[in-house]
Amino acid sequence: MEYYHIPSSVEETLSIADNYSGNYTYFAGGTDIQIYRKQKLDTHDHIIDLSRLDELKSITVNKDHLHLGAMTTLDDIISSDIINSNYPLISEAAKSVATPVIRKTATIGGNLLVNNRCIFYNQSKEWRDSIGSCLKDKGDICQVTGGNKSCYARNVSDTATALVALESEIIFLTPSGSIQKPLTELYLPCGIKSNELDEHSILTGITIPIKAEKWWYRKLRLRKTLDFTSLTVAATVDSDRIARICLNGVSMSPVLIKEALKSLTLESLIKQARKNCKTVENDLMPLKYRREMINVYLKECWETLH
Amino acid sequence: MKSKITKLSINGFEHIVLVNPDETLVFTLRERLNFTGTKKCCDEGTCGSCTILVDGIPVLGCLTPTVRCVGKTIITIEGISSKEDLHPVQKYLVKNGGLQCGFCTPGVVMTAIPFLDEHPNANREKIKEGLSGNLCRCTGYKKIIDAVENAGKELKV
Ligand SMILES: Cc1cc2nc3c(=O)[nH]c(=O)nc-3n(C[C@H](O)[C@H](O)[C@H](O)COP(=O)(O)OP(=O)(O)OC[C@H]3O[C@@H](n4cnc5c(N)ncnc54)[C@H](O)[C@@H]3O)c2cc1C
Ligand code: SF4
Ligand code: FES
Ligand code: FES
Repeated sequence: MEYYHIPSSVEETLSIADNYSGNYTYFAGGTDIQIYRKQKLDTHDHIIDLSRLDELKSITVNKDHLHLGAMTTLDDIISSDIINSNYPLISEAAKSVATPVIRKTATIGGNLLVNNRCIFYNQSKEWRDSIGSCLKDKGDICQVTGGNKSCYARNVSDTATALVALESEIIFLTPSGSIQKPLTELYLPCGIKSNELDEHSILTGITIPIKAEKWWYRKLRLRKTLDFTSLTVAATVDSDRIARICLNGVSMSPVLIKEALKSLTLESLIKQARKNCKTVENDLMPLKYRREMINVYLKECWETLH
Repeated sequence: MKSKITKLSINGFEHIVLVNPDETLVFTLRERLNFTGTKKCCDEGTCGSCTILVDGIPVLGCLTPTVRCVGKTIITIEGISSKEDLHPVQKYLVKNGGLQCGFCTPGVVMTAIPFLDEHPNANREKIKEGLSGNLCRCTGYKKIIDAVENAGKELKV
């Protein structure tokens, strides 16, 4: 029996996934999920490696839409002239992920689906065993809040922040056909089941409809490289003067504030952001500091948008 | 999971080896094939010391599934040069004092070589960024960057 599958078409992928329903893990680049395998946080028997799905490696522009295949690497995005000149926000976000070497393997699809993180969860098995596992790790209590209802593990996808601010849609294939929907609808406000991509489906691509007239992007992290985000903010203003401000790394899913620029004020922007971000003490940077930095980033961002 | 007979091309030679579907390239190279030049340090993508070339592209050996590399060309630090004839990146690391304990060095070399191929005109800032995934606990980086800068100049002429 094979445990490691390397299909060469999307159809073949779905049929293997169907065979091992509930007991497989997709590897795109593998740069996120591989660590969960080592830490025994992902224990499915079968690995389905998507790296030979050449049909999902593409950057195309048609009818004013940019389309990215899910298996396009972050490095391909950063080196693309089309993206750099028309969608600089996307390359800026991609450039802020991990390291140059990792970005040669890491894919945009994998980045959108990167696992939610928490300092009590992203640890070795021995570490977790020593304090008792939490809700996200089949335990019965959240180590951060002491409660037993919700998990607040953070969505840390940097490119999702940018792509949500660009009103992107995702396309995924299910056995009954292809479905397209807004990227915001992919994410669920839950640290455990953080996206609603179900068994039997595969993310195939992302479509970006708008070009930003103005944009702003920043990521807060301990070092300029390597580190996951403690707060990422991406913002755009389109030709109809609609502002879209997305915050990530501070809640279970990306938080979007979308409003006509003329009715939005900085005070209401900060108020909405602080209200919608379910920020808890589960990052290396202290909670108080991260909350304060939401204000700082939004103030800076406001100066560019306005 | 059951081991699998796997054929790998490493530094120009074919190797046939029993591989666990869940194992990563740095494990196979070091523990099964004795290619101990490649170092394993963090084992979770955060230090760069396990960098290897697969089809010419630098990848982290600790994150790359070995089975993914079947049919591809793997080059490790052992395949870069002979003892007498060092690659310019290696030569300048020695000349400029770009190493102390040397543990990070194979990873630095395997990152710097494809980086200079791709960015022959890279300035210091770009070199720093290119090597930003390679941690070194000894040198303080300056001499590593000097070495890569000098190697870049030599490779251009
Ligand atoms: C040192 C280090 C630093 C990092 N820094 C960052 C960072 O700053 N920001 C950040 O966002 N990430 C970071 N990462 C995590 C990771 O490298 C990136 O998120 C990367 O973009 C993930 O892409 P991948 O192709 O490797 O995904 P994978 O690891 O292959 O997959 C991620 C998840 O998505 C699923 N998946 C992937 N593709 C599909 C698909 N097409 N359909 C359905 N499911 C799919 C996988 O099953 C898995 O659950 C870092 C990782 C390391 C090791
Ligand atoms: S927020 Fe609580 S339940 Fe969720 S991963 Fe962290 S400790 Fe576990
Ligand atoms: S051992 Fe692979 S990056 Fe550290
Ligand atoms: S020389 Fe010791 S880690 Fe770099």
